[in-house]
Amino acid sequence: MRKLHVSLSALVVAATLLAACAGGGSSGKLKVGLVTDTGGVNDKSFNQSAWEGVQKAAKEFNFDAKFIESKQPTDYEKNIDQFATEKYDVILTVGFLMGDATAAKALQYPNIKFAIIDNAYFPTKGAKVCDDTKKDCYSDGGLKNVTSLMFQEDQVGFLAGVVAAGVSKTGTVCTVAGMEIPPVVRYVTGYESGAKWMNPNAKTLHVYIPSFVDPTKGKEVGNSMIDQGCDVVFGAGGNTGNGGLLAAKEKGLAAIGVDVDQYNTYPEVKDALVTSAMKNVDVAVYEYLKSVNSKTEKAGIVTANINNNGIGLAPYHDWNSKVSDAVKAKVKEATDGLIKGTIQTGYKP
Amino acid sequence: MSQSASTAATTRLSSVRQLKGRWWVTALFSLFLAVAAWMLLNLIIGGQCQGECVVGTLAQTLRVATPIAFAAFCGVLCERSGVVDIGIEGKMLMAAMVAYAVNLFAFQALKGSMGEQAAGDLSRWLAVILGALSAVILAALHAVVSIEFKTNQIITGTVVNILALGLTGFLYRQFLAENLPAGPGTFPIFNVPVLSQIPVIGPIFFQQKPLTYMMLISALLIHYVLFYTPWGLRTRAVGEHPRAADTLGIGVYRIRYVNVLAGGLIAGLAGVWFTIEGVDVFNPMMTNGLGFIGLAAMIFGKWNPFGALIGALIFGLGTSVTSTVSIFRPDIPSQIPQMLPYLLTIIVLTGVVGRAVPPAADGEPYVK
Repeated sequence: MRKLHVSLSALVVAATLLAACAGGGSSGKLKVGLVTDTGGVNDKSFNQSAWEGVQKAAKEFNFDAKFIESKQPTDYEKNIDQFATEKYDVILTVGFLMGDATAAKALQYPNIKFAIIDNAYFPTKGAKVCDDTKKDCYSDGGLKNVTSLMFQEDQVGFLAGVVAAGVSKTGTVCTVAGMEIPPVVRYVTGYESGAKWMNPNAKTLHVYIPSFVDPTKGKEVGNSMIDQGCDVVFGAGGNTGNGGLLAAKEKGLAAIGVDVDQYNTYPEVKDALVTSAMKNVDVAVYEYLKSVNSKTEKAGIVTANINNNGIGLAPYHDWNSKVSDAVKAKVKEATDGLIKGTIQTGYKP
Repeated sequence: MSQSASTAATTRLSSVRQLKGRWWVTALFSLFLAVAAWMLLNLIIGGQCQGECVVGTLAQTLRVATPIAFAAFCGVLCERSGVVDIGIEGKMLMAAMVAYAVNLFAFQALKGSMGEQAAGDLSRWLAVILGALSAVILAALHAVVSIEFKTNQIITGTVVNILALGLTGFLYRQFLAENLPAGPGTFPIFNVPVLSQIPVIGPIFFQQKPLTYMMLISALLIHYVLFYTPWGLRTRAVGEHPRAADTLGIGVYRIRYVNVLAGGLIAGLAGVWFTIEGVDVFNPMMTNGLGFIGLAAMIFGKWNPFGALIGALIFGLGTSVTSTVSIFRPDIPSQIPQMLPYLLTIIVLTGVVGRAVPPAADGEPYVK
């Protein structure tokens, strides 16, 4: 009986392998899958930007590209598995929150290339994937197939804060923030330091909301801060932050967008939108896929910052005439200071 | 069993006024509790929220409570006639998506011929109507299956929720995920003439958007219909003891159908609130469980519209106080104030309400 079992399972395995071979060889195209965070591919913000980067690369290098949206955090691993079983070559995961799922799956599928946005792996005491006996998590810790695409949000947040304090009439600026995770904290910290650098008497307010998909909440929180005198609202939290932008727009105040130029992605609020604190996720994703195409991609951390133009403020668009030259000069000064390292954003990891 | 149910029904029907009398005690008590909680919270934030800040928080309370109250009214209408409806969340989601899409595309079609202002107004109201109607379609499904075919109403409600989740998710991905034109945005604030100038009361009650006013009006309307019209008496009779009602010549099925469909319309308004009055974006699952909170508000209000409204307001107060606390005390971990509305709901549900008795025939299909 036992023998029969063994031979039967061997047969099944062989059949599966054969089937897999047959499936894999037919198409020569590289298959790229994107797993979005709960914000979804239409978040007018960084998931959308990541997908645009994928589409651009797919067109240029003739990849097959597909996305799956995560409805809830428990979908992360499931969605990665789905791409893996469909024999995708590259899987991109969007967002800090997908860190654990991506690491676990990267170890499970060593032949698939992974890139994660906003999450860097460092050896941590007691960590399952990569404990503190390792030199680093990538070459030493087993994540040999993972590239982390990181951004210094604190730097662009700082510049946004300079602009905000510059255009504020009340001297109070505020942030409708998403979940309290490192990339969001970097934005908020940078923004508040920037505002204080521009105007030492500036008052800063912020509220973290534990969701990236709750615009109605974001709007009400924005309204509360506006009641406290805030007249420049920075929306740093995907769709939740968009609610903050809308609150400012409906009250006829100013707002600052996040991640992408929201003048284009969220035109309904363009009257209020002074600028956006951009991190060029699309460029980072595109550059990564380009390196995959030329087989030069490396595991490890790739950081986009002000020195390599991976981040920056969006154009002022309709506000161009309303932002004074003095403020623009201050933004220039802050940019130079950040590049030279003479200005610190106040963010400590 | 039938004997006791009949007695209970008679008692409940004849003691509407008594019920209401006791109801005011509860209402006053919860108001007192809310004020006490507010004072405690103001202590936490060091007395920084005074004057305008208090008014702002209360105005926000009313706004946040609007979809919850609508959801609760839907529950009241359905369950008073003996049909349990846990599919409110699904209907809200469907209405939110349909309204969003209608608002966007109607505006695109109209703005060329009539100017942006008029096109915006028209497409918003069109969105309200069609959004609410889409919820009525789901309600009709619930009604046919649970009234006509007598299935378990909890299961049908769950089916409606899952169906709406899947359908909106699919349609959103197919048509609303990429390359959308700019929409006309949400309703502007409508200041009620004269009344909006009253200090304190004005900014809280009369500087709101249309659906918030509609919510307050429908509370009055539903209360009137349920307790002062023959239709309301029949509805309650059908909810308490359909057999007795039937022998007196009341069309049980007809009453239930109309109530479930009307409930669907109101649940639709709750959903429309999200994308036409609240914000001008849609994302899957954006209703965030408020439909279920609405059911809690309904139970809190003991299946009375005014009670349900107060239940919704308490949850709204919790939500708006949360953001006020977070603003003034950024040093408190953000997760702690976030628990507040739910904590408040539990305390109120367990401590204030006492025993909430649903209509006797609630959830039981009627077999002729």
